Order: sequence, then C-alpha cells, then structure tokens
Amino acid sequence: MSFLIAQSIINGVILGTLYLMMAIGFTLAFGVMRIVNFAHGEFYMIGAFLTLIGVKWLGLPFPAALVVTVVMAILLGGLVERFVFRPFRADELSGMIASLGLAMILQHMALIIFGPDPQSFPSLVSGVYRLGDLIVPKSRALTLGAGVVILLAFYGFLMHTRMGRALRALVQDQEVASIYGVRLEIMYPLGLGLGVALAAVAGGLMAPLFGVSPFIGGTPLLKAFIVVILGGLGSIPGAALAAILLGLIESLTSSFVSASAADIVTFALVVVVLLVRPSGLMGRAEA
Amino acid sequence: MRLNKLLVATTALALLAGAANAEETLKIGALVTLSGAGSSWGQGMLRAAELAAEDVNKDGGLKVGDTSYKVQVIPYDDSYKANEAVTAANRLVFEDKVKYIIGTVGSAPILAIQPITEENKVITMTLGFTAEALSAEKPYTFRPNPTTAEVAQPQIDWIVANKGIKTVGALFPKDETGQAIAKDVGQAYANAGAELSAVEFFERDRVDFIPLLTRIVAQGVDAIELDGNSPVTAGQIVQQARDIGFEGVIIRTGGPATQDIVNVAGKEATEGMFVHSAYDPGVETAAAYEKRYTETYKDQMNGFSPFFYDGTKMLFKAMQDAGTVEDTDAVKTALENLKDYDGVLGTLNWTGAERYGIAHQLDSPFYIARVEDGSEVIVAKCTSQGCE
Repeated sequence: MSFLIAQSIINGVILGTLYLMMAIGFTLAFGVMRIVNFAHGEFYMIGAFLTLIGVKWLGLPFPAALVVTVVMAILLGGLVERFVFRPFRADELSGMIASLGLAMILQHMALIIFGPDPQSFPSLVSGVYRLGDLIVPKSRALTLGAGVVILLAFYGFLMHTRMGRALRALVQDQEVASIYGVRLEIMYPLGLGLGVALAAVAGGLMAPLFGVSPFIGGTPLLKAFIVVILGGLGSIPGAALAAILLGLIESLTSSFVSASAADIVTFALVVVVLLVRPSGLMGRAEA
Repeated sequence: MRLNKLLVATTALALLAGAANAEETLKIGALVTLSGAGSSWGQGMLRAAELAAEDVNKDGGLKVGDTSYKVQVIPYDDSYKANEAVTAANRLVFEDKVKYIIGTVGSAPILAIQPITEENKVITMTLGFTAEALSAEKPYTFRPNPTTAEVAQPQIDWIVANKGIKTVGALFPKDETGQAIAKDVGQAYANAGAELSAVEFFERDRVDFIPLLTRIVAQGVDAIELDGNSPVTAGQIVQQARDIGFEGVIIRTGGPATQDIVNVAGKEATEGMFVHSAYDPGVETAAAYEKRYTETYKDQMNGFSPFFYDGTKMLFKAMQDAGTVEDTDAVKTALENLKDYDGVLGTLNWTGAERYGIAHQLDSPFYIARVEDGSEVIVAKCTSQGCE
C-alpha cells in the first residue's frame, strides 16, 4: 500500500509539471493581453507537430528540434498577436471569440496537412529508474527534467531581465507601464509569443509520451483552464501550486478510487474554490 | 450554329451508347464510410468491390446465363452516420435501382438501412459488428467478416493455455461499447479458466493511463487485454504499461489494428504482443491481394479489405449459379448454398445459424500473431472451433 501511495505521488508530481507548462503560457497570455486564449491547446498541438517534423523529417536531435520549435512558436505567436488579436486588445469577449475561431482554423489546417491519423513519435529513451520498489519511467523523468529547466529559465527571464520586468509591469498596469517607457508594440507580441512558445514546447516534450495528432490540443487546454482557475488567473505562483495539486489529486484518486472519481474531485474542487475564493488560491481580486 | 449541331450529335450519340450499355451494366452500390472515423475501413471495402469488379470486367464482363454484364460500382459516403446512410440507401435503391449493396461499415447505419433494403429485397454485405445485423427476419443481409463474437473465445482459450495466464487486467472506454465488451471478454476469460481481475473504465479522450495502469499492475496481473479500445488508445496503453515496467503479456483480441498500435507505441514496446490477425501473409493468394491493393491505390491495405473482396466475388458466383441478376431471392439462396468457396483468404463457408438464427455469417480461418520487430508473425491458426 505504501508503495502505491509513493508511486502515485511520483506520478502526480510528473503530471503536475506537465500541466504547469501549459498553464503558465495560458496565464501569461491573459496577464499581458487580457485575452482568454482558447487556441492555446492548438499551439500545444502545433508544437508537437513541429518537433515531430524536426526529429522525423529533418533528422535533427530532439533538443535541437525543441529549440527550432520554440523559435518558430515565438514568431507564430507574434504574428497571431499582430494579425488576429491586436484589434481586440481592450475587448476580452471579442478576443475570446476570435481565439475560438483561430483554434478551429489551426486544427483544421493540421487536419488538411497531416490527416486524421496519429503519427508515431520515436521514443527518446526507454526503461525505468528503480528506487527500491518505486518506478520512474525514464521517458517521464526526462520530460520532468526538461520541463523544470524550461520553467526555471522562464522564471529567470521574467524576474531578472529588462524585458521580463517590462512584461510584469504590463501585467500590473498597462497605462503606467507605457508612461514609463515600456514599448507596447514589442511587448504585446513578445508576451503572446512566449505564452505560445511555452505551449508549443510542452507539446514537443509530451509528443513522445502521448503521441501526435491534430486533436491532441483539447485535453491540455482543459487542464490549463482548471489550473488557472484554481491558481488565480494571471498568477504564476498560484498556477504552480494548483498544477502540482491537480496532478496529485488526479493521480491519487485514479489509483485509489477510480478514474471517474478523479474528474469528480477535480471539478468539485474548482466549484469550491470559485465559491470561496473567486480570484483563485493565489490570485488577486480585480480592482 | 455548327457548334450546336455538333453538340446535339454528340449528346445523341452518348445517349445511344448509354442505352446500349445499360442492358449489360450491373450496378453495385458501395455504401461505406469515406470520411471521418472509420474511413480506412470504408476505403478498404469500396476498393475491394472495385477490384472484384475489375476482375470480371477484364474478362469481358460477368457472364450470367447468356448475358455479359459490365459491373459498375457506385460509391456513397455515410460518414458512419445512420441518417446519412438512410439517405444514401434511398438513392441507391430507388434512383440508381441497385439490387446489391456492399456496406455499411457501422452497426447503427446497417440497422437503419435494413428496413429499406430488406423490404426491397436488396442484398447487403455489412461489416457492422452488432449481433442484431443478422437475423432470420433479415434474410437479405450477409456479413463476410468475422466479428469479436466469432474470434474471441478460441483466441483467448489458446493464449490462456499456452502462456499460463491466470489473471488479466484491462482498460475499457466508459460507454455502451466498452461496457458490453468488458462483459463479453470477461466471460471469455472465465470460460478459458482465467480471470479478468482488474478492470478500469475511462473517458474516451483520456491520454494518460499511468495512474490506472499503476493500479492494475500493482495487483500483479499476468496479462493486459486491449480489446474495445481504438487503435490509438490501445497504442498509448501499451506504451505506458511498458513505461511503468509491466513485463507481462499484452493481448489484443479482435479488430485489425496492429499497424496503428505499433505506430503509436513503437517497436520496442509492442515486441511480443499477441494480436488477432485476419489473414496470413504466408497464404500466397492473400499476399498477392495485398500487393495488388497497395500497388493500385498506393496506400496501406486495411485488414478487412480481403474479406469484402472475397465477399463480392462470392456474390458474383451466386449470381452465376442462380443464372440471374434480377431475382435476388434466387441469388440469396445460391449465395447461402456456396460451400467451401475458395477465396483469397482460404476456404470460406457460412455459419451463424445457432448464434444469429440464420447462417449468413462468414466462417473464415483467422490467426493469432505475435508482434516481432513491429510486424505480425503468425503463431496459431484458428477457426471458430479452436486454435492450433
């Protein structure tokens, strides 16, 4: 029994890290742009396909393919900001609807180009690490490690660089930030570009675990939503806490009760948080 | 003016030619799924009918009595939906006036079109797995492929006996199909002397099975059964089960899906998996059919295609035996009377009188294969009586 508990905790932490990467990009895009980006899941899917193309068609090593994916994703995010979201900057509702449309366009484009069948992704590593009775699949340990590195790098960028400071200022107050010389025309595309890049890199990292097809974006989007609601929209520490919590809940309930119970517990928690703390566990209330 | 005359002349010619041909054209409907989920099965069936038609047309048409018929296949797409199947069936039966339909792919579509086809004595050849597709009240429906009901028991008996399996774990989608298959497969394992001891149900769009598999594997099962899951999901389960260090046997009962599973899970994870195989590439005629298929369509062959090639050929044979293409009662009887038909898959017969109340279910040999380096290697040959 104790073995099963420890194993479930390990599974849960791995799962939580995967969710966190999705959620941070989502919450960043909201913080900067004030847009609830329903196309976030499709950027996850595009990231998975870009990495697949890099590895399988171009023969790049996996890390190089991921770097290419990140660069392409930042560019794509910038373009999307310029040509889709810019007219809706101050308009949350229209922006949300535009993002829904964008999601459909991206998914169907992938469908036309790649077809509906799942693509195989060559596995990077196989086998398991054993700690006594406990088992950590090497593939997941790798994803976990890469995820943590990427998240730390992103955190460093946000907290300790000029651009990161500018982004945070933008999240706090757009007008004041712009008076202090934050250049909106650069920071908006960059903010969305980084959010998109996080989703894309998550897609690339998870492609070897969960496979690649045009329809893989839905589930991670839903998880990002739950994490962001639990953690507080716009709050990165809140997202971190909520993602690990969600991973643990899913893993422990699935292992000890049943998969359906995991969904019930998760959504019950969302309802409770919304009732008791509508701004999320660590979100700040709207002024 | 001259152009107009030319146009009139060509139209008249075309009409005349059409009229002349009509006497000797035999129209066959192909009411299959050509878009969305299930389209790979639908393509396989349509192309099977086309290849069978090509065979007879090449020799100057299908000779029935003194007349030679040029066979024409008319395809319709039902998108795996009952309502679209009904629309297409109405057009086939009342506008195109066909007497024979290859299709449908799905269970719901065949049940939906049977009121039209049975009433109008149109012979259908369906893939639909539902037990209700065949019954004594539906004498014009045939099923030229084995379903899980035919293959599960002999296959499970063989694997349980040969691999010394006592306990089995399985994951099923949480819906009607999943529940039904869980019950059938559980019964089949019980009959074979093993126990389906760890069962989990999950939402169909789930991709992370590690928490569920952790629980199943912790119960120390000897094998994991994949029946009831789509090829992609089955592939993910295989990959993730191996990821958490499961070293037991993995079994896929029913439905050709090996290639997709290998695509998703990779060659290493699928090594040693036991799968149902509809045909043996070692049988020369079957391999030749697959070669012809891939060369003609530049596409991988779906495992059901050879069944419908044989099925369509059996239908042609029945028309020749009956000496008519118009009287479907006579053709139906001739089809029922075909014994030991020599198809590309091997020796074929009709069975199902006990199970369905009518012997319109194909009884064909099938195989148990072991996956080695991503390909199926046949390890046992089976009939509905058992495997060896």
